[in-house]
Amino acid sequence: MLRSAWICSRCLFRAIERPSRRWQRSFRTTTRLSHLSENLLTRARAIASEHATLKKQLEKDYDVQTAKRAGELSRTADLLKELERLKDALRELDNLIRDPTTDNELRSLASDDVSDTNSALETTTQALTNSLVPRHPFEDLPCLIEIRPGAGGSEAALFAGDLLHMYQSYCVNSGLPYSLLKYEDADGVGDPNGSDRQLTEAIMEVNGTGAYGKLRCEAGVHRVQRVPATEAKGRVHTSAASVLVLPSFPDDHASGEDFNDPKSDFFIDLKEVRQEVMRARGAGGQHVNKTESAVRLTHIPTNTTVSIQDSRSQIANRDKAWRLLRSRIAQIRREAREDEMRDMKRSVVGVAKVGRGDKIRTYNFQQQRVTDHRSGFSIHSLEDAIEGGSSLEQVMDSVRKWMIDQEVAQLVAIESNNT
Amino acid sequence: MPRLPYHLLRLTSKSPLLQLLLRECRDLESARNELRWLREHAISSVQNAGGHRDERNDSWKPLLRSLCVKRASGKPLQYLLGSEFFGDIEVACKPGVLIPRPETAAAVTYFAERLCSAARKLPSTLRVLDLCCGTGCIPLLFQHVFAKNWPNARDPPHLSLVGADISADAVQLAEHNRLLLQQSLTGRSNAGSTWASRHALDSTAFFQADVLRPEQSPNPQGIPDLMTVLRQIDVPEWDILISNPPYISSQSFHRDTQRSVRLFEPKTALVPPRPGSSDPGTSQDLDEGDTFYPRLLQIAQDVGAKIVLMEVADLQQASRVAALASDTSVWDGIEIWRDHPRGKGPHLEKCRGEFPVRGSGHGRSVVCWRGEGTEWLQMM
Ligand SMILES: C[S@@+](CC[C@H](N)C(=O)[O-])C[C@H]1O[C@@H](n2cnc3c(N)ncnc32)[C@H](O)[C@@H]1O
Repeated sequence: MLRSAWICSRCLFRAIERPSRRWQRSFRTTTRLSHLSENLLTRARAIASEHATLKKQLEKDYDVQTAKRAGELSRTADLLKELERLKDALRELDNLIRDPTTDNELRSLASDDVSDTNSALETTTQALTNSLVPRHPFEDLPCLIEIRPGAGGSEAALFAGDLLHMYQSYCVNSGLPYSLLKYEDADGVGDPNGSDRQLTEAIMEVNGTGAYGKLRCEAGVHRVQRVPATEAKGRVHTSAASVLVLPSFPDDHASGEDFNDPKSDFFIDLKEVRQEVMRARGAGGQHVNKTESAVRLTHIPTNTTVSIQDSRSQIANRDKAWRLLRSRIAQIRREAREDEMRDMKRSVVGVAKVGRGDKIRTYNFQQQRVTDHRSGFSIHSLEDAIEGGSSLEQVMDSVRKWMIDQEVAQLVAIESNNT
Repeated sequence: MPRLPYHLLRLTSKSPLLQLLLRECRDLESARNELRWLREHAISSVQNAGGHRDERNDSWKPLLRSLCVKRASGKPLQYLLGSEFFGDIEVACKPGVLIPRPETAAAVTYFAERLCSAARKLPSTLRVLDLCCGTGCIPLLFQHVFAKNWPNARDPPHLSLVGADISADAVQLAEHNRLLLQQSLTGRSNAGSTWASRHALDSTAFFQADVLRPEQSPNPQGIPDLMTVLRQIDVPEWDILISNPPYISSQSFHRDTQRSVRLFEPKTALVPPRPGSSDPGTSQDLDEGDTFYPRLLQIAQDVGAKIVLMEVADLQQASRVAALASDTSVWDGIEIWRDHPRGKGPHLEKCRGEFPVRGSGHGRSVVCWRGEGTEWLQMM
């Protein structure tokens, strides 16, 4: 049966053995774009034309403010110029190669040039994209991935376990260190290293720099379509699991984020948190010997609750719980802000909103297909994707590209509305 | 033993181990946690013994089963796993020595943190005596919290810590715990707190001594009395006295203690001898369970302690002990701390109109101070 193929522990070890250098390299650039989307181009052209206007203005009479603004825009303008030059060159080379009158030696020289020009084009495209899109402020941070089964009963719980396994393998493949903050299955005693028990909740912390930037595209509802192992009649079931990705702040020194600064998203007023620990029943003290070390924190204003009971040490549980609570609260605040922004934009220009509850990806076992509904990208190597292989990276990359495109589209929309 | 609720039995019908653990844990959540911890323990024991690298090797399974069977009989988890977390540190445990309790850790942590916040007032050497030390958890945690919270800008005082217990097993385990903690520091960065901890652990020692015996009267087993030991180590003066002595009356032992405590932890660590039976000098109308306190207060005076921190069973015992302390009229202040002294902040309630009570939870400690102790605790 299919299941055993990707649930067994051997797969995990296989994944560890697999040489991964090739793909670490591809990670250095967050997104590989072979072409620019219309949105990016539109925005780049708008900036280039503003740049041209400012320069003309400066020739007439010099003004520091204008010069400064022109300076800011010049990088994009220059890159766009370079991009257009490269495209022209490519077109010419292409014509040359197609032209039947071109002699063979020249044609082979031209084909050599094509590949050089193509790679230059890719670099420039990347640089141009970077110059247009504001970096996500938490791009460089480690992150937390929370996985929970959704509708679909035990099959959903199994799928949630598969997703956890997928991200664990992905981390191994891409050299990102990770640890499990919380792992609970129906028995509460599952083996995080590849049990086939039903997951109820898992939280993993991915520690490499840039982990949040790489993995934030995974947040949302993932859907699976397959014949469950338990289904006797061979019917295909559809179930889902939700994935939450939060930036994680290991401690306030490392991240440069000051938890005591009320302006920080991570600031939490101690008075607004209720801490519950499992207390001994009855007299306490020498009379009882309790083993409960669970800690539950509730942020009263947002009614956000986290509970951790992984460790026998209550202090360790408390520290983990605080870390989690801070990340969640910060996320809530950020989302509230983003929603506000989005509403504002929509009211002017009608940018499509992707709700947090919408499904973002489907894993169809019958067709061995993974489709991301945001980027529209499909790949027919499901086994590899679900093993955290390079197919998953391809899917993720399509989403990162899509996300950039969305952001740029919003910028374009806002700007065209302002002018 | 009461039967388990039917729904729990049904929920766990697929997992016989969980069912075993439920007998002692009574709720599913803690049974699950315990099963996870026991499982990790079984796997790592097998790995350490036979060097099996593969976790999927099944040889730990019989071990896990026998651990669960023992747990089901009421044997404390900490004895099975060999340790307990006490505040910020892990302490080795073994049968015959009382398992440290979180309430004690809370009081010690709060106490050490408070002293640190009065860093400017503290003397350059601080001597701490822990009577009835058991696993040694109190001095070990005290120095840890102290080192961790000490303000960077100042040189920490030289800590000198001594623990005493009547049980040879306890003294041995306490010394073992000191060494474990010391080992855990090697290889760590040389940050100020590590440095301070290393020094404090170097000047920590545990001795066998009978706290209840008056001076110069060795008990029948030949265990020396405390004052004789202190004279032998040539440190007659102590700044701080901490003690979590046996404080449960025999009636309460049968009525209020958890079954696994009653059956598996040493009774001498929980129930004191009847008042007056060992020391004709103490008053005969002392409550059962209070035996140690007059003696502890006397020792505090004899060694010149500036602060005394004593654990008690509840608010009633706290009030009785506070009254005993007040009767000596040597203390400038007496306060009762609850389980979570930081709990409700600085609000103090009056208890029986006599002693202030701090924090939330059960009445848990009695604190007395005098002289410089007043400044160290910032009680002005
Ligand atoms: C409640 S336990 C406290 C252990 C440890 N301080 C803790 O908090 O976990 C009391 C300890 O007092 C010891 N003890 C009992 N009678 C004693 C005596 N007469 N002199 C000294 N220690 C005694 C017991 O051996 C036991 O270790």
